[in-house]
Amino acid sequence: MDSDHEAYILLLLSDSNLPTGSFVASAGLESYVTHGFFSNLSSSSTTSPDKMDYTVNFLRDSLSTYGHSALPFVLDTHRAIEGALQDTNASADDAMDCAMARVQELDELYETMTLNHIARRASKTQGVALLTLFSRGFAKPRLSQHLETSVDSGADGRAASFVDRLKLLVRREGTHGHLPICWGVLTAALGLSVERSQYLHLFLQARSLLSSSVRLNTIGPYAAQQLLLHAVRPLVDAEMSRSKHLDTGLSKSSEVGKEDADEEVIRGPAMTWPLGEILAARHDLQHSRIFNS
Amino acid sequence: MAPSKIEQGHGRVVLHNDGYANVFSDMSATYPLKLLSPQLPSPNVSVVYMLSYGGGLVGGDRVVLDVEVHDGARLAILSQGSTKVFKARPGQRLSARWQLHPVTTQRLAVRVAPRSALFLLPDPVTCFRAAKYHQIQTFHLSKDSSAVLLDWITSGRKSLGEEWVFSKYLSLNEVWIEGKRVAKDSLLLEERDSLPGPLTPRTLAESLAPYSCYATLIMYGMLLEDTICHLTAAYTAITVFKQHAPPPLLWSLSPICEGRGCVVRVAAKETEHVRSWIGNALKDLEGVLGVDVYRRAFA
Repeated sequence: MDSDHEAYILLLLSDSNLPTGSFVASAGLESYVTHGFFSNLSSSSTTSPDKMDYTVNFLRDSLSTYGHSALPFVLDTHRAIEGALQDTNASADDAMDCAMARVQELDELYETMTLNHIARRASKTQGVALLTLFSRGFAKPRLSQHLETSVDSGADGRAASFVDRLKLLVRREGTHGHLPICWGVLTAALGLSVERSQYLHLFLQARSLLSSSVRLNTIGPYAAQQLLLHAVRPLVDAEMSRSKHLDTGLSKSSEVGKEDADEEVIRGPAMTWPLGEILAARHDLQHSRIFNS
Repeated sequence: MAPSKIEQGHGRVVLHNDGYANVFSDMSATYPLKLLSPQLPSPNVSVVYMLSYGGGLVGGDRVVLDVEVHDGARLAILSQGSTKVFKARPGQRLSARWQLHPVTTQRLAVRVAPRSALFLLPDPVTCFRAAKYHQIQTFHLSKDSSAVLLDWITSGRKSLGEEWVFSKYLSLNEVWIEGKRVAKDSLLLEERDSLPGPLTPRTLAESLAPYSCYATLIMYGMLLEDTICHLTAAYTAITVFKQHAPPPLLWSLSPICEGRGCVVRVAAKETEHVRSWIGNALKDLEGVLGVDVYRRAFA
C-alpha cells in the first residue's frame, strides 16, 4: 500500500461528518459533568482550574483507559484481516474463514471484558455503523460512463465480501460487532497500516469527546480546536506509546504454561480508570441527557 | 489426604458435604500463606480465613490458592484485616530477592460444583508506597452454582499521607460458567512514567480523586437472585440531577448473563463507607450464610 493511498484514506476517515454514530456518544463525559466532576478536587494546586482543565482531565483519563482496553483489539483484529488479505493463493477463502473465526473470538472477548452495559451498547452501535459505512460508503460505485468496469477478484473484492459477511453475522446476532473490532476490520480492509489505524482510532475518540464537550456547552468550538492542536496530539502520542504494542493475549492462552499465562494477563488489555467506568454506567440514571452514552 | 509436599506460598482447600455436614477433605498451606477454619453453628456453611504471616505480603511473595467446593456446600473465604502489600518487610533493607522478584502475586483458582456456592468476601487490599501487586483470580462455575466475588482496594496508608502512591496494582477476575468465559474484569492502576512532550504528568491520585476506595462485586447464581433483584430495583430508581461536587459514594450496576448475574462497582471517599454499603447490599446473605458468618464478613 503506497503512502499516497494511505494519506487519502486518512483524509476520508477523519471527516467529522461520517455517520459513525459517535455523534450521540459522549463516553461518560455527560455523566462526569452531571455528577459534579467539573469542580476543583485537588487541594494542592495553587491556581484554580477552569473548564478547559476539567475537560482535559476527562480527556486524559478517558483516553488512557480506552487506549489500554481497546487498542489491543484493534491490533489483533487488524493483523488477522491483513494477514488473510495478503494470502493470494488458492486457499484464500479458507484464510478469510479463519479470519472470520478469529474476529468472532476477539469480539466475544471484548464483550466479556466490557462489563458496563452502557459502554457495550455504545460500542455495538458504533461498530455496526462502521461496517455499514464501509459497505455503503466505500464500495466501488457503478459509474459505467466514467469508471472502467472490472470484476473485483483481488483483495478489495475479498475485503468487501468479508465485511458484508460480518455485517450479516452481527444482524443475526452471531457476533456483537464491537467498535474496536469493526474499526480493525474496516481499516485493514481499506489498506491502512495497523499503526495508522490505532493512531487514527485514538485521535477520533479524542475529537469525538471534544465535540461532545462543545455540544454540552462546557467549552466552545474554538477552545476545542485549541485543545485538538495542543493537548490531543501529545496525549494520543503518549497513549500510543503505552498501548500500541499490547495484544489481547487470546491466541496463546490455551497453549502456554502457567508462568507465561501470567505474563499474557499482565501485558493484556485492562481498564485503567475505574471511576470513569462507574460514571459511564450511570449514564441512564441522569434526569436529563442529550447523549446515548 | 495430606499433600506430600507443596510449594512455598501454595495452599489448597477442598470442601465436600457428606449429606449431613461440610467436610474439608483438604486444607493445607505453606509459608507465607496460612489458612484457618473456625467452628460454626451451621453444618452446611464453612469459613476459611486466608491469612499471611506478619499480616502482610512483601515484594516477591507469591501466594497460590486452589479451592474446590462440592456437593452443595457453601464456603465463605474471608481475611482478617486488609491485605497489606509492602515493598519490603518493614525495617528490612531491600533484599536480593526483592530485586529479582519485585512483584507480589496472589493467585486464586476456584471451582464451584453444581448447587454449591462460594463467597469471597475479603477485606480490601492496601498497597503501600512503591509496592507492586498482581492479583489473578479465576472462578469456574457450573450454571447452577452461586458465587459472590468481592475485590477491593484502598488508596494506601492515609495516616501516613499515602494516597494512591503504590507503583502498580493489577487485578484480574475471570468468571467461567460451564467452560465459557462470561466475564473478564481487568483493572490496572499504575503510576505513569512521565513521557516526553509538553504535558505535565497526571498522577493516579488525580485520576481517582476524590475517592480513596474502589470495589468491584461480581455476583452470579440462584442464591443471589434476591440480592440482584433488590439491587437492580434500587439502582434503576436513582435519578441524578446536576450536582456541583461529586457525592461521597458512587455505585453502578451492570447485568451479566442475561440478568442471572451482575457487576457492581462502588467508589467512596472513606473505606468504611464502602464496607457498610456492601454489607447493606448483601444483607440477604444473612439468610444464605447465617448471621454469624455475615457478621464475620462485615462487622
